[in-house]
Order: sequence, then C-alpha cells, then structure tokens
Amino acid sequence: MDSKTIIIGYGNIDRADDGVAFVVINELRRQLGQKMLEEDDTGLDELNDENDSIFLSQLVPEIMELLMGYNRIIFVDAHVGPDTNDLNCSPVLAQYTSSSFTHHMTPSALLAFLKTMYQCEPQAHLVSIRGYDFDFKRTFSPKVQALVQPAVNAILKLMNQSRV
Amino acid sequence: MGRKITIEPVTRIEGHGRVTIHLDDQGAVEQTFFHVDEFRGLEKFCEGRPYYEMPQITQRICGICPISHHLAASKAGDAISRVKPPRPAKLLRELMHMGQVVQSHGMHFFHLAAPDLLFGFDADPATRNVFRIIKENPKLALKAVNLRRYGQQIIERLGGKRVHANFAVPGGVNAPLTEENRKAMAAELKTMTAVAQEAISIAKGWLEANKETAVTFASFPSNYMGLVDAEGGLQLYDGEIRVKDAQGNFLAQFKPEHYLSFIAEHVEPWSFLKHPYLRKMGFPQGFYRVGPLGRLNVIDKIGTPLAQEEFKLFRQINGGMPVEGSLYYHYARMIEALYGLERIGQLLDDPDIMSNNVRTYPPLEKVPGQGVGVVEAPRGTLFHDYSTDENGVLTRVNLIVATGNNNWAMHTAAGAVAKAYVDGTRLTEGMLNRVEAAIRCYDPCLSCSTHAIGKMPLEVTLIAADGTVLDRLSR
Repeated sequence: MDSKTIIIGYGNIDRADDGVAFVVINELRRQLGQKMLEEDDTGLDELNDENDSIFLSQLVPEIMELLMGYNRIIFVDAHVGPDTNDLNCSPVLAQYTSSSFTHHMTPSALLAFLKTMYQCEPQAHLVSIRGYDFDFKRTFSPKVQALVQPAVNAILKLMNQSRV
Repeated sequence: MGRKITIEPVTRIEGHGRVTIHLDDQGAVEQTFFHVDEFRGLEKFCEGRPYYEMPQITQRICGICPISHHLAASKAGDAISRVKPPRPAKLLRELMHMGQVVQSHGMHFFHLAAPDLLFGFDADPATRNVFRIIKENPKLALKAVNLRRYGQQIIERLGGKRVHANFAVPGGVNAPLTEENRKAMAAELKTMTAVAQEAISIAKGWLEANKETAVTFASFPSNYMGLVDAEGGLQLYDGEIRVKDAQGNFLAQFKPEHYLSFIAEHVEPWSFLKHPYLRKMGFPQGFYRVGPLGRLNVIDKIGTPLAQEEFKLFRQINGGMPVEGSLYYHYARMIEALYGLERIGQLLDDPDIMSNNVRTYPPLEKVPGQGVGVVEAPRGTLFHDYSTDENGVLTRVNLIVATGNNNWAMHTAAGAVAKAYVDGTRLTEGMLNRVEAAIRCYDPCLSCSTHAIGKMPLEVTLIAADGTVLDRLSR
C-alpha cells in the first residue's frame, strides 16, 4: 500500500469550541491547496490524495473500512480540562475503553476495532485544542482561535515526518 | 452516619449525567437520583432563524439520531407551511427513518447491551465489552457492523451525504428515489433481516434463561406512550400518540399537535432535564415510558409479518399486560429493528416510492405560523414545536426529546436497582454496572451534541457524611 495519511477532524460547529476541528481542517486544506469544505461537507466524497482530510460530527464504526486504506491517521478535536497542554499532540494507541451509554467512539477505540476486526494497525496521533466554551454558538474562545494555526503546524509536522 | 455514592458516567463537559446514591447509617440505600446536567440552550439558539433551516440545524443537536430531528423539524415545517407532502415523499421520509432505526438499534444492542447479556453483569469489565464478542464470535461482530452500515447507507443514499442529510424539506423531500438506490437497498434486506433475528434470539434466549432477573430488574409500574397508526399498529414516522396505564388501560389518544393539552413538564432542582408527565394524572403519577418498550406496550399489532410474530410472544410475557422489566427494552428494541427491516422492504415495493411527485410547495402569502412535528426516534417520542412570525422567522422553539420523556423512568430504574443490589458497606464493580445497566436499557442520549475529548470517568465514590472518601470504583 502506498503511504497515505488521513486527517480526521470532528466536533460540532454549532457548539462553539467543540467545532474548532472544522476550522483547523479547512486551514490545513487551504495551505495544502485543496478545496475547502463547505458547512455540512465532510470531504468523504473526494478522497484520492496522498494526504486526505475530512470533518465528521463524530467517530462512528462505519468509517473503519475507509481507514483501512491509510497507514497514518491524525485525529483533530477539542479537549476538555487542564490535564493536557492547551495544544496537545500525542500518539494514539489501539485501546478500548468501556463505553456505558454512548454510540460514538474515541480515537483509541476506533483503532482497537480496526486492529481486532480488520488486523489493520495504522500509526495514529491526536492533535487537540483545549476548549473553554461549549455553548450553542458559532464563535470560538480567543485562546482557541489563537491555537488554530499552531494546530495546523503540528499536523503538517506529523505529515512531514518520515513515512511509516 | 449517612453516606453518598456518586456515579458519574458521562462527564464529558462539566458532567452531563450522574447517579447519586444516598445511604443510611446501616449502609442501605435510602434514595437515588439520576441527574442530567444538560445544556438547554438550543431552543434559544434557533430563535431568529428561518423555520425552513431547522431540518438542517437540528441534525447537529445529536450525532446519534440526527435523522429523527431532521424529520421532526420537517414535519413541523409542513405544518407551518400549511402543506401536506405527497404520499411518495412520506414514504421516502419513512424509508430514511427506518434506516436510522435499524442502525441505531443495532448499534445499541451489539455494542452496549449484548456484553451484559452474553458475559454477565459481574464479568470483569476489562472483558465485558464488544471486543470479547469480536474475539469469541467475530462473525457476529461483523454482522453487527454491517447492520449499522446498512442502515447508515440508506440514509446516505437518500440524503446524498454521509453526514447531515439534505433531504426532507417542508412540503416533502428534495429528490426522488433512483432505481439504482432502490435496488441497492433491497439487495441486502434478506441478510440484514437474518442479523436482526439473530439478535432477537440472543435477547430472548437470555431473558428466558434469566427470567427472575428479567422480571424483577428495574421493574416498576408506569404509563406508556408511543405513536400508533389508524389501526393501533406500530408507527415510527407518523400517526397519533397513544397512552396506556400500568395495567394496559387506554388513557388517551391524541394528534401530535395537541400534545400540550396532555403533557406538562415538571422541574426538579437536582436535574437540568425536565420530567414530562401526563397532565391529568399529575406528577409523578403521570410519568410515562417511551421508546421500544413504551411503544410495544401501547400498540395492538405490528404491520409486518416477522415482527408481528415476535410481538405476539412479547405480549405473552406478562399475560397481555404491559411488560414492566426494563431489560425487556433490549428485546423490544430488536423486534423494532426487525420491523424496520421488513418495513424497508414494504416501502421499496410500494409503486409510489419511485414517483417524482415528492414535494408540495407552500402558498406565497405571509402569515405567522405554528407547527408541531413528532416522530418516534429510536429512543422514543420526539416533539418539535415551532412558532414563527409572518416572515417565517422562528419566535419560539420547544423541543421534548426522547431521553427527556424517559427521564423519570431512568431515575426510577436506577433507584430500583440500587435498592436491590447496592450494599453500601462495600461497593463492587458489578453493583456499579447494574445501576448503569438499568439506565442503559433506555439507551439515553444525554448530551451528545458535543464530542470534545475529555475525562469520561465512570466513578462510584462512597463518601461519609464528613466528606471522607470511604471507597471508590472507576474505569
């Protein structure tokens, strides 16, 4: 398989900082000379590049078959709480955490499913920005807005690392 | 010395759901609360928007059942526009809805419910999960994924997008069904129906083998609510709302737009989520259950043959009376999944489904509008109620979501299980899991419209009256 990377942003653009990944993905696409996503576009219909990027409302199991075509995944999200840096960039391991109620999946759970069901083990990272405001609105906290470009830089750095 | 146990299962953002169990001096459960710290700002967020944008906006309320909101908003838009969608449009909307019901019910059963049933409430939580199913029965796991994919692909084929369908609009839908898509949907029906039947077999087998637990676990009398068709049959897209009491007596049947005459909402200081109840019975006597168990307890029949046969068996569980045990939600849920698949077949075989007559356009005059749209979301009855000014701009939005309708029922279920199983002198993981499992029966969607990565601890803390932490379980 050729070396391929997919960047998956996810969140809700109507919930303030929760939607920051949408802006990060679009800024990344702009800098890569790719068509920017319209609101409600996912990018799933135009996957043919060495570096693809999509935006989803959440991670769901049916994207597993899609991910089998990539050997690197970079997840982009907001995060909550002060335990990690405001801009976090960390590897993601395949690890299932029991989910009591929710239908959506975490990045590590998605990787665990990929590994267990499809014997597929892509390298994966999470780039996340700490969110402060999750109210119903479409504006970002100033601190979040300021971290969009650094997040894009972090993604570009990961993409430029030696191929797996 | 009184003590308190807190379960914080969903604290993604500032804590969305918690269970607190208050113990008496002997360590016995005194009182249990199910708290939901849900943001209720969406209604205000929508005010000032054109009503016809709501089918798109409201999909982002929830990433789990966006189609339910999409369709309820479209139905409210029909009423505001004073138009009736043509029959083919109704069929296509229902087809999309069935896709969502199938994928949601399948996901819940295999991912969240089945591990308890297959491995037991007391199994090691490290292995009491879907991965053990994958390891022990990989074929079943793949079938589960395919069932969800099948439902999701119906939504995608109709909506034109994998996420946030652009399909239903006030007056109908914006595109007819193509023959290519009709064939593709029909091609896998037989296989998917077999998967639903296998799930029913698992659920039914467990419930029969564990009958004492099934009939006592989170079992309590309540009223029940759900849509029915003109013949009293199961309806998930359209119909009238029927309510029955704990003995199965008919309490009310009304058109969705009259819901405020029958339903009121009670506020408790310990939860942001309101507690809907039947006006004429008052609160809490008027609380009711919705969702698969609620629906199957109010209907007279199911209009598809395989699901109807299962429904006959379901009705025998309590001698024709309503089934009270919360664990029967799992069985009811998969009977509905089977119905959804059979209904997809019926819809695809209907000659009208291929018609190009899929939209009625609204009249041009400008008048203030009001409209109610109701569908049976996978988790239960979903109300969208909008008012607009003469330009179609929303001036009032009221939503009662399925999880809200089940709010008091989940509170009651958690309390019943805590009383039955919790020994405050020493917590066990199995105890925690049982309390969770009681709530899990209702497949709640507490606040899934944000997805930021954060702490999602599952924690039970035993706290003495002086604040000392006596015991703690978490995962």
